[in-house]
Amino acid sequence: MAKHIAIVEDDPDQRANYTDAITKKGYDVTGYASRQEALEGFDRDLPDLVILDIILGEDVDGGFQICRDLLSRAPSLPVIFLTERIDEIDKISGLRLGAWDYLPKPISLDYLAERISSLLRIDEVRGEDDPTNSSAKRIGELTLDQDALLVSWRGQRLDLSGTEFRMLAKLVRVPGHAVSYDTLMNATMQSLVTNNTINTHMRNIRKKFEIIDQEFACIKSEYGFGYRWSA
Amino acid sequence: MLLGFSLLVIPWLSYLQLIEMERLLIQSRENVQLLLARGISTLFNGRDDLFNDLPLSYPLEYEPLYVHPLTTSIRLDGHAGDWGSGLTEKAQHFGPARADGSFDLLMAERNDQLYIYLNVIDDRRVYRSPGYLRLDTADHVRINFFETNGTDGRITLTLHEPGVASAYRMSNDWRFAATGAPPANEVQGSIAETESGYGVEFRLPLSMMGSRKGFAVSFADVDNQESREIRNIVQTLPKGDKESFNLVVFRSPQVLNIIQGLGYSGARIQVIDSQRRTRAETGSYGTIDSANRDNPAAIDTRAWFTTIRPLLHKLIIREEWRDQPQTESDSVFDRALTSALDGQPSVLRRVTDDAQIIVALHPIVSKDKTLGAVIVQQNMAEILTFQEAAIEQIVLFSILSLLAVFVVLLAFSVRLAWRIRGLRREANAAIDPYGRLRASALQSEVKAGDEIGDLARSIDNMLMRLNQHNTFIENMPRTLRHEINNPLNTLSTSLQNLENESESVRNSKYLESAKRGVLRIGAIVQNLADAANLEESLETEELETLDIEKLIENYVANFQLTHENHRFVFRGTGEPVLARVSDYRIEQLLDKIIDNAIDFHRPESPIKVQLDTYREHLQISVANRGPVLPRGAGESLFESMVSHRGRQSRLHFGLGLYVVRLIAEHHGGSVHALDLPDSSGVAFMVRLPLSRIRPPTPPKFEKTEAAETA
Repeated sequence: MAKHIAIVEDDPDQRANYTDAITKKGYDVTGYASRQEALEGFDRDLPDLVILDIILGEDVDGGFQICRDLLSRAPSLPVIFLTERIDEIDKISGLRLGAWDYLPKPISLDYLAERISSLLRIDEVRGEDDPTNSSAKRIGELTLDQDALLVSWRGQRLDLSGTEFRMLAKLVRVPGHAVSYDTLMNATMQSLVTNNTINTHMRNIRKKFEIIDQEFACIKSEYGFGYRWSA
Repeated sequence: MLLGFSLLVIPWLSYLQLIEMERLLIQSRENVQLLLARGISTLFNGRDDLFNDLPLSYPLEYEPLYVHPLTTSIRLDGHAGDWGSGLTEKAQHFGPARADGSFDLLMAERNDQLYIYLNVIDDRRVYRSPGYLRLDTADHVRINFFETNGTDGRITLTLHEPGVASAYRMSNDWRFAATGAPPANEVQGSIAETESGYGVEFRLPLSMMGSRKGFAVSFADVDNQESREIRNIVQTLPKGDKESFNLVVFRSPQVLNIIQGLGYSGARIQVIDSQRRTRAETGSYGTIDSANRDNPAAIDTRAWFTTIRPLLHKLIIREEWRDQPQTESDSVFDRALTSALDGQPSVLRRVTDDAQIIVALHPIVSKDKTLGAVIVQQNMAEILTFQEAAIEQIVLFSILSLLAVFVVLLAFSVRLAWRIRGLRREANAAIDPYGRLRASALQSEVKAGDEIGDLARSIDNMLMRLNQHNTFIENMPRTLRHEINNPLNTLSTSLQNLENESESVRNSKYLESAKRGVLRIGAIVQNLADAANLEESLETEELETLDIEKLIENYVANFQLTHENHRFVFRGTGEPVLARVSDYRIEQLLDKIIDNAIDFHRPESPIKVQLDTYREHLQISVANRGPVLPRGAGESLFESMVSHRGRQSRLHFGLGLYVVRLIAEHHGGSVHALDLPDSSGVAFMVRLPLSRIRPPTPPKFEKTEAAETA
């Protein structure tokens, strides 16, 4: 049975484009234009994955409210924010609410599909009884489970967003080797990325490590080039 | 200042008022004096008896002999010292002045005795010799008078020696003593020698004289001891008229008694009869100097005022100052006197040597004839003194008020200037050198109620509106990005769907160009938003102390890796250079400067990056060979949206160097651009403060050298 994906987007053109693209990938897609409409739809049938715009017409925080509502019903439901609000503060609040990823517009539909499938797989993996399966990879103190999108540092779980996880995965692929900005940009799976965006992501990742381990210093800046993981 | 000048009206008006007051005062004084004269004259009106004691018609060429009332008792000693200075000044002189045999005569009356003093000038004193019986063989004094019975009385006062003089009644020829007549014991006299002659003092009872007050004194001068001839006789009568007598004019005691009580300080009251003979006088008008004698400072001020008054007068009244406004000559006085005796009262002002006097004349009438006149003379000194005090006050007041106005104006203008300066400072501070608003409201003066307050409020209002506008402009890129991203996303996703729809479309070159266009719009919007957000996001940045030397060294090395077709040279200090920075902001800064250098550098030439340290700061220089800076570009290079790249630029909005400046300033530093000394290129220099945890080290390279090596 095809996975059910809900898209909440007030702009009909974009909603149609998403729907068309994702339907082609073999998913069952429902599009909603407003919070009201979406919540009514979710009452009937809870989807497997939700893509939310934040601003829904006059309802400037509609996406956040839907997210809060959904996650109170199904805490493990994968939620992706896909929005034009790309200020850091919006991103942080979105991720805090429990969203799995936060993607700025404009989006590449291929990337979007890839993320959807990745997140659905992760959801499946996490749903299994033994989360520490063979896909987990250990680099020194770091444990990285690509399938389950799970990261541990010295045995403690880190809560990274999808983008952050992919960047970290890219960084640690060959430990000690510098990874260029361009490579990291590809890892974000976004169409429009600057060095600044990478820096911001890296800083956020670093902070998340530092919460667990104040001495954390494995992510090194290679000024003018990119980053390097040195254990 | 107009206010100050308008204050000059006060002294001007005061002066006009003073002039008027002066006139009024003098006029009232004149009236008072006239009234006084009239009052006095009424006392004498009809009192013919007081004026009839003297003959009405008497030859005018006969000088009357004035008898003054004597207030003190006199010792007959030949000296006039005890007569009182007031009296001795009134002595009448007979004979040619200072000539041999001439004399001064002084007559006074007290207790019914007539006192006579003669001061005789005689170059050769000849005393009477006892050997001669004749009495005219030595210097002697002859006295003629009417006896009580109407006959002529003749008495000679002989001079034996200094001391007591003897008097004899004489025969008609003045040679021998009258036979049978009793010795004139009632006439007592005394002689004293003076430097120039004799002082003869004698008295005779008034009872000796009849009702016709005829009296004459003569001095017979004998100079030759041998011949003892009378050389010369000086007499009070006109020469050659031996039959007549001088008229003795007594200052009428009754008249004097009447007016004596009326005399008051500063006024002189005179009563004259119709023959212009002074019958009584009392008081004196004094002089200005005597009025001020006690106060030497007053004399100084008077001198000062006599200098300043004409000036002031000319200035204010626009007329020449006449110091003696109504100078009356003696002839005018005589005319007034004549008219007074004709029954016409008058008032006039006259100027004597030392005083200005108001003279009031009023006739004394009886029935149909004029008995005489009362003359009241009074000094104007008091009025003049008042005048001076008033002028002094006016001048002082003017100066003080001008001074006060000046001080007030000064204080006012200083305060005004201070307030305006404060306002200007605050208004200036509200906008930084790059035109950004730093304050949206003014603190000072906005509550002031005056025009400055209005100005402050309007500036405040202006700032507020400017701030709203600024906020709108600042939010514009973000709003724009929000608004553009949606349609851009529509466009982007539509293109992607389109690509997947059919094979022919997928390979269309138009699809590719459309995708590039979408990407470029996205990049533009992103850049704009990043720059707009930069200031805000810098605030949240955490700073850490880093080794800039190592950072730049790594950066340049890494940059070289990714930009193989350019050459980069780094020259550092060779030792750690510590500064408190946000590392990836410095990286961003380097990105922008080096991007800029790459864009402008001459192919094949290296781009030089150099780090220097100075006492308080470090300097990062990025130099490239290539075109020099546009003329006059200066600091504007580092402003938002300013680009000097010309038309070929595509993704540049002049944001790069603006970002450099913002980052440098956020770190407490600055950024400059200048041409290399040989005009072969451009150097950008970023200065950042050194971290304080490290002691300052002397610079290894001079700035010029840094530019040259670049």
